[in-house]
Amino acid sequence: MSKFVAWIDQRLPVSKFVKNHLSEYYAPKNFNFFYFFGSLALFVFILQIITGIFLTINYKPDAASAFASVEYIMRDVEWGWLIRYMHSTGASFFFIIIYLHMLRALMYGSYKKPRELLWLFGMFIFVLLMAEAFMGYLLPWGQMSYWGAQVIISLFGAIPLIGESLALWIRGDYVISDATLNRFFAFHVIALPLLLFAVIYLHIAALHTVGSNNPDGVEIKANKNPDGTPVDGIPFHPYYTVKDIFGLAVFLTIFMFVVFFMPEFGGFFLEKDNFVPADPLKTPEHIVPVWYFTPFYAILRAIPDKLGGVIAMGLAIFVLFLMPWIDRCKVKSIRYRSSTYKILLASFVISFVGLGYIGMQAPTPILTALGRTFTLIYFAFFVVLYFTSKNEKTKPVPERVTMHE
Amino acid sequence: MNKAYIFFLLGFILSSPVFGASSSVELKPVFIDLGNKASLQRGAQIFFNNCSGCHTLQYHRYSKFVNDLGVSEAMVKSNLILTSQKSGEPTKLGSTITNSINHDSIKEAFGVVPPDLTLTARSRGPEWIYTFLTSFYEDDSRPMGVNNKLYPNVNMPHVLWYKEGLKTYDENNQLILKVNGQLSQKEYEQEITDLVNFLTYVSEPAQLERYTIGFWVMIFLVFFAFITYLLKIEYWRDIK
Amino acid sequence: MKNDNDSLKRRNFLTNLTKVVGGIGAVFALIPFLSTMSPSEKTKMAGAPIEIDISAITPGTFKIVEWRGKPVWVVHRTAEMLDIIDGKVDYLADPESSTEMQPIYAQNKYRSVKPEFLVLVGVCTHLGCSPLYKPGENKELGLEWKGGFFCPCHGSKFDLSGRVFKGMPAGTNLEVPPYYFASDTKLIVGQDRAS
Repeated sequence: MSKFVAWIDQRLPVSKFVKNHLSEYYAPKNFNFFYFFGSLALFVFILQIITGIFLTINYKPDAASAFASVEYIMRDVEWGWLIRYMHSTGASFFFIIIYLHMLRALMYGSYKKPRELLWLFGMFIFVLLMAEAFMGYLLPWGQMSYWGAQVIISLFGAIPLIGESLALWIRGDYVISDATLNRFFAFHVIALPLLLFAVIYLHIAALHTVGSNNPDGVEIKANKNPDGTPVDGIPFHPYYTVKDIFGLAVFLTIFMFVVFFMPEFGGFFLEKDNFVPADPLKTPEHIVPVWYFTPFYAILRAIPDKLGGVIAMGLAIFVLFLMPWIDRCKVKSIRYRSSTYKILLASFVISFVGLGYIGMQAPTPILTALGRTFTLIYFAFFVVLYFTSKNEKTKPVPERVTMHE
Repeated sequence: MNKAYIFFLLGFILSSPVFGASSSVELKPVFIDLGNKASLQRGAQIFFNNCSGCHTLQYHRYSKFVNDLGVSEAMVKSNLILTSQKSGEPTKLGSTITNSINHDSIKEAFGVVPPDLTLTARSRGPEWIYTFLTSFYEDDSRPMGVNNKLYPNVNMPHVLWYKEGLKTYDENNQLILKVNGQLSQKEYEQEITDLVNFLTYVSEPAQLERYTIGFWVMIFLVFFAFITYLLKIEYWRDIK
Repeated sequence: MKNDNDSLKRRNFLTNLTKVVGGIGAVFALIPFLSTMSPSEKTKMAGAPIEIDISAITPGTFKIVEWRGKPVWVVHRTAEMLDIIDGKVDYLADPESSTEMQPIYAQNKYRSVKPEFLVLVGVCTHLGCSPLYKPGENKELGLEWKGGFFCPCHGSKFDLSGRVFKGMPAGTNLEVPPYYFASDTKLIVGQDRAS
């Protein structure tokens, strides 16, 4: 066996790779609950690819037969229902995981020097993922697929001068049609997954260059043993592999529970109107995007101007890219930052969740007012943070990481 | 199986709609029990005798009934397959459940093409169908002589009136029976329950196995999570 | 020291247990994925047994019907054709049909239940082309040719019972599907006689 390994290693440095990234990759020993979501995101990405491939085998990207082919998968293909539910539930769980992963970065300052590039790659993944989910949602060709896509693509029409022709070019038709379905299928199953794969690779490569941050925001590379290994670091394998396997097992238990017992998740994961085939002549009474888009959709609706709404929605995502430069505080972790930051982050999270709720509801005067307030808080977070973070009153940061049981 | 049933109920409660229908009419609850094969069979018979002339189940196949409803191939062929192919031979067991109504002429007669019902129990919910079918009342101003409390001015005639009889509003604005049908009120409600049960099954046949398989998968995963927890604790004793 | 040893044992045990249980889980998880690639309900139902009315197939003619997407031939053989089959067989590779290319009730020189009716899957046993029915003598196909099936793809020859000639690309006789006669005029292909 060792001879075989040696033969391979002379030709391809597999052992070196395993050492560098697993058995001798040192990670801080004080990771908490929030640090499960990176590996879980990777797992769900792979799960989506695999279930996606098996769905593609029976799915037909054709406006005349797409809806029927999904029902064919649900009833005529052996186990097709399970694969389909795993894929549809996986999409929602992907966003739950990514949002918690991003919250973790905000809490512990994981975007700060030297991890700016890591954060930027992460943001690119987030944007690609939104595009991937949006295009995937058209494929079942139900009423919600159709009208959701119609509304979102019409947003491009708000852009001055080129807007209308851009929307037309994206659709390939004057309305969402067979042409749109076909190209969205191509993007959803090959173009975006390839891009995602590349950016995820860069994200992990950047992570392994600078090393993981941790809940204390202490650089473990600053304290080294005589042999050069970080004092507060532990080898990723076996310690974090066993920990992440445990995390995966818990995740799978929750995930499969949803898949088997509540795949529609009360209309959040699979919307009722999407069990009606797309009808270009009849809009459902109440169109909402899937839950993971509703915070941004609520921002869009909060602005009483078409172009303004589109700009606000775009800005809400874009401003996140700038986090490493907006937050000028040297201290990373929320544990040692001022109560100002804690209040700011808390109100940001509340406004985000609140916007998510409002985005799902039919607009009423009260909800619209509330939506505007939350939108204001959302953007205020970045503005206030920019001005308060430079001279923030922080607590002393310990030399070494701390362990909490 | 009993435990699986608890999961089934739990799943059913949790999967109840969050986006309620905007209609002001309150939906009546209906007890869905997909484990009750006799009810599913009765529901199928009611569907094929009364509904299938106009409504299709175009994504579903007759052949699925053999396993799912626990009936023989011969029974499906003689009792449920009432249509024939162009050639005049009876529709094949493996066919999807369609009919040969002419869309133009039926649109002329009823104003709309009767919708396909495969997924109605998912798009509108079992309670909606149940309430709809128990909310017809006499209304001479409508072309069919009936109207519906849940779906005002619906184009569908009250096909099952011979079973239910005919309802009308009393002075308290409640629907009461004016003309008796073949069945008592209770019997009629039971038949509609069977029919809704059948349509709920048709909307997602996987439900018949999903809960049972899910139960075993849960047991496995909880066990797996437990041993990986022990594994994690064991290794992490090294870390101080 | 003893404590360390115990710990190591426990650690190895738990590691192996996780591997085994995880492996079992992975294998079970494979089943649904791989199953989606097997024939669906729709395909299976399309492959259900078919009924053929044979009253219109007069002696000497044949009919092609589709079963499971493949051509199935029903040939009504004349007395002369049966005589040819009774004749010399030295040019055939497997005249007794000893290779299992037919249900047990068709393992005879006529390769059929009723000698006059031949039922064959019309797919060459070489690489899956569909041979052509060429009744009568034909010099181009050789002196031994007294009618039969000729595969245009690689030139395999089969006699009027679907038996392959010696030295052909195809190694076995043509396949006989399961079938039975429900009545004098009704042939069921795709199923043995219901017991």
